[in-house]
Amino acid sequence: MPSANGQSSGDGAAPRALDVSDLEVTFHRRGRRLPVLKGITMHIERGEAYGLVGESGCGKTTLAMAAMRYLAANGTIDAGRVLVDGQDVSELSEEALRKWRGGKVSMVYQDPTQALSPAMRIGDQLAEVYRYHEGTGKTEAIERARESLRRVAIPDPEATLHRYPFELSGGQQQRVVIAMALSINPQLLILDEPTTGLDATVEAEILDLIEELRGRINAAILLITHNLGLVARLCERVGVLYAGRLVEEGAAKQVFTDPRHPYTMGLLRCVPRFGMNKTDAALQTIPGTLPALGEPLKGCVYSARCPMAKPVCVRREPDLYAWPGDGGARGAAEAEALPPDPAAYSPHHANPVGEASRHVRCYFSPDVPEMPVMTPVLATSLEARGATEGNVLSIENVQRTFKDGRKKLTAVSDISLELKRGETFGLVGESGSGKTTLAKCVTGLIAPDSGTIEFEGGQLRPTAGRRSKDALRAIQMVFQNPDSTLNPSWSTRAILTRAVRKLGGADRASVRGKVDKLSADVRVEPRFLLQKPLDLSGGQKQRIAIARAFAGDPTLVICDEPASALDVSVQASILNLLVELQTNEHVSYVFISHDLAVVRYISDRIGVMYLAELIEVGAAAEVFNPPHHPYTEALLSSIPTLDFDDARQRIPLRGTMPSLSEPPSGCRFHTRCHRLLGDICREQEPPLQEAVSGHTYKCHIPPNELLVLQTETAAAAGRGSAADAAEPQSIGASDLSAPAEV
Amino acid sequence: MDETRSSLGPDPDLRAEGAQLSADPEMLEARVDAVATRATVAAQVDAAAAAEQRRQRRYLARALLRSPTFMVGMFILLFWVFMALFSTGITQNPTDVDPAASLQAPSGAHWFGTDDLGRDVFARTMAGARTVLIIAPAATILALLWGGIIGLVAGFWRGLTDEIIMRLVDVLLALPIIITSILVLSLLGKGTAIIIVTIGALFTPVVSRTVRAAVISEREREYVMAARLRGERSAFVMAREILPNITQPIIVEGTVRLGYAVFTAATLSFLGFGLAPPSPDWGLTISTQRVFLQIAPWTVLFPAVALASLVVAVNLITDGLGRVFAK
Repeated sequence: MPSANGQSSGDGAAPRALDVSDLEVTFHRRGRRLPVLKGITMHIERGEAYGLVGESGCGKTTLAMAAMRYLAANGTIDAGRVLVDGQDVSELSEEALRKWRGGKVSMVYQDPTQALSPAMRIGDQLAEVYRYHEGTGKTEAIERARESLRRVAIPDPEATLHRYPFELSGGQQQRVVIAMALSINPQLLILDEPTTGLDATVEAEILDLIEELRGRINAAILLITHNLGLVARLCERVGVLYAGRLVEEGAAKQVFTDPRHPYTMGLLRCVPRFGMNKTDAALQTIPGTLPALGEPLKGCVYSARCPMAKPVCVRREPDLYAWPGDGGARGAAEAEALPPDPAAYSPHHANPVGEASRHVRCYFSPDVPEMPVMTPVLATSLEARGATEGNVLSIENVQRTFKDGRKKLTAVSDISLELKRGETFGLVGESGSGKTTLAKCVTGLIAPDSGTIEFEGGQLRPTAGRRSKDALRAIQMVFQNPDSTLNPSWSTRAILTRAVRKLGGADRASVRGKVDKLSADVRVEPRFLLQKPLDLSGGQKQRIAIARAFAGDPTLVICDEPASALDVSVQASILNLLVELQTNEHVSYVFISHDLAVVRYISDRIGVMYLAELIEVGAAAEVFNPPHHPYTEALLSSIPTLDFDDARQRIPLRGTMPSLSEPPSGCRFHTRCHRLLGDICREQEPPLQEAVSGHTYKCHIPPNELLVLQTETAAAAGRGSAADAAEPQSIGASDLSAPAEV
Repeated sequence: MDETRSSLGPDPDLRAEGAQLSADPEMLEARVDAVATRATVAAQVDAAAAAEQRRQRRYLARALLRSPTFMVGMFILLFWVFMALFSTGITQNPTDVDPAASLQAPSGAHWFGTDDLGRDVFARTMAGARTVLIIAPAATILALLWGGIIGLVAGFWRGLTDEIIMRLVDVLLALPIIITSILVLSLLGKGTAIIIVTIGALFTPVVSRTVRAAVISEREREYVMAARLRGERSAFVMAREILPNITQPIIVEGTVRLGYAVFTAATLSFLGFGLAPPSPDWGLTISTQRVFLQIAPWTVLFPAVALASLVVAVNLITDGLGRVFAK
């Protein structure tokens, strides 16, 4: 561990890549001082990868911006120093700063489409970096741009040089951004959510690239992400931020396998482990929300949400204590000894104590592994949900084509599937595979070109406008984007009242009661009903959206990525809510998500879509274990997990997704398949194979052969079978499986 | 759902704590304390949220008050509104003719001089605001109303309806406003009401384009889809769901149109298709007095400056509003 030697920057050795001490950043908003970061002391050794995690709003990006000296005009560094490669960032002149950014330090942002100029060819954009920073001549700059594209393994560097950003896929754009960030051999590379918004397979591709580049470049990496799996895979050390304080820091493996701060523990418990299902364990949530900026805090910043909080926690803020050690206990005793004077509640200045490699800002670190579990298991078995009663929904040969100029894009191609009462059908696949279009065909937002959709025995009309009141009531949808799902001009109560009156068919007197019941069911306190969506948090908005969908006691609710725009802690509570509503109301779900662990957790059956086709359907556990479609196999291999012994072999998908207007002949997946048999795949459409009863997939390889091939791969990867990876992992799993008290 | 919740309320935190309280007596004290802390914090947050809302509204008002462009524009506009309403009580009578004192230069008795019929130019300039301040806002409101409806329908329904409406709008936009209004006014005759309707109709296509663009970006939002899934009628979705969320571009468009309406009304008067003498209307005055420009420039200069100041004022207000909204 590079950090363990306790070497400081002044020892004459090469300076650290990033050295932050006592950093305090404040934003000034309309006359108010809002402290964002307080007493941050951390460093990154040369060549080290450091992960920064925490919910959105914790100050992760602000820390990165302070390191780049990119703080917004209303943000000031009130105290502390930021040294990058030994250079105090605040001492640079404007001119030097420009050279220094992109030279010594560079940053990769979340959205590659915004990081690249849409009006410049890729080659010119890359060459500009060399020409500006090193004064390279035009021809040489282009030559080096070509070289840098090769370094990030862009398929056809020569052609890419002449392309515009919009001609590249999201993954390729991000590769170009990374190439640009690495072009001048920076000492520090900041990655701010580099894969958020990319598909799982593309994410895996970018991760492989970063991992592979790490061997060849000497840049240290600061990785900012909400995805703990990413940090587990890429970083040596990790820092956990909460409300602008570093609450835990240490080697990634230690922090994630043996968390010692209740917040870290809480975050880890929120994430569905791969293979977990709602009937085995409830997702743990972190109650409450992040304190608002500028909110007065007493003592420990996390005490208001901490399930272990004791009175001493609000007396005085704990320091960052070395762990293992008794610093926390001593700190608690010290805080106890303070006189009960209100002034003593003000948080004192906190600094890491000692030069140990691991620090925790908690008085009760030894008790964290026994942190109480709060959420009971909510889901009942399929039978208890009435899932044996027959089909609620059956879709037959549904097809939908869009016109794009002269091209015809078939977004949903000949799809058939059934759904039982009380069942959850998970729909996975990369973006553009047709998941949402299929869902919109079911709800009637898009009319299918052909095929039938039967609902409770009767055929549904193609568009929502023509459906009966009862069909509208029975089929509802929860949308992805919490910021646009509610009308910003309406109060929350008005939104729910309208939904109840249109869908519930209730008279005026009972509407009020129904709205109150709905908001209670989705756990939104009555006081929020008076507010407009702008004043609600993302999780609250999504809860209201769920309540709206449930206004008419629906039979089927389509959930289109309902939690993917939310923090893990909030995501967990939304998933729990959906499970609980299903247990109580016996509603069926079609659940769309790109997060395979989430789909695995919430679904009873899963369908995998690729290029508008449903290529595999089956019970959740079966689809995610061999034998399964090679595409599913590749998808599964791409998820970053928190398992440090993870030796699964990643199966990179070759090339990019073909266009929907010209789908490949034969098997649609053959252009990217790693188990390609030969011409048969290119020429003949694969048959539907049955692995076990109810589990079918579209492939030329029969199940017994596929099973052998896929278990071999897993075995060759060094450890166990893919089935092992599907088991809940050690951390917190024992807590999770323990039945919780209600 | 279960009893624990009903006794402890719908708050998930409290509910979870309820589970804790019954589970672990040792933690009881700590939890009670934490719950109390959280309740106070929640109350504080609540108060803060309410205060924040009030502050946001005040902020918008204050941002406008602090915007020099908006304030200067507003000052000039309010000056003319005041003059339009009350100038008769302050100035001399704008229609009093005094042939003995025609075309006198500005003096203590006549601040802006007199015109060919010896009427006080100051009184006429101040009173001239009246007609333009009736015609321009009324025409703008008509244009917003019609353009709003057309834009909503075209943007919401898209397809063939949109195609037909927008091609018609294109045709109307291709007509030169002044010439068309002259034609219409010569056919229908003069009169304030006819001028208002004509200008309003001619501005409708531009407004409808703006509204349509705003509707198109709004209708793809998920709350509109949710409304469709509730079986709401199109008229409801347009008027109640979408319209409240596109007021800002409509307000900005309205102020832009207002400036042009002032201009157009004055131009029509100047060309003799607006109001008839002896109205003190600025456009009309400039038109009738321009023959004396060489010998008595004040007769034309003051109404022209007044007209320009009103147009500039409206544009400054537009600019200020646009900037504050964009923040």
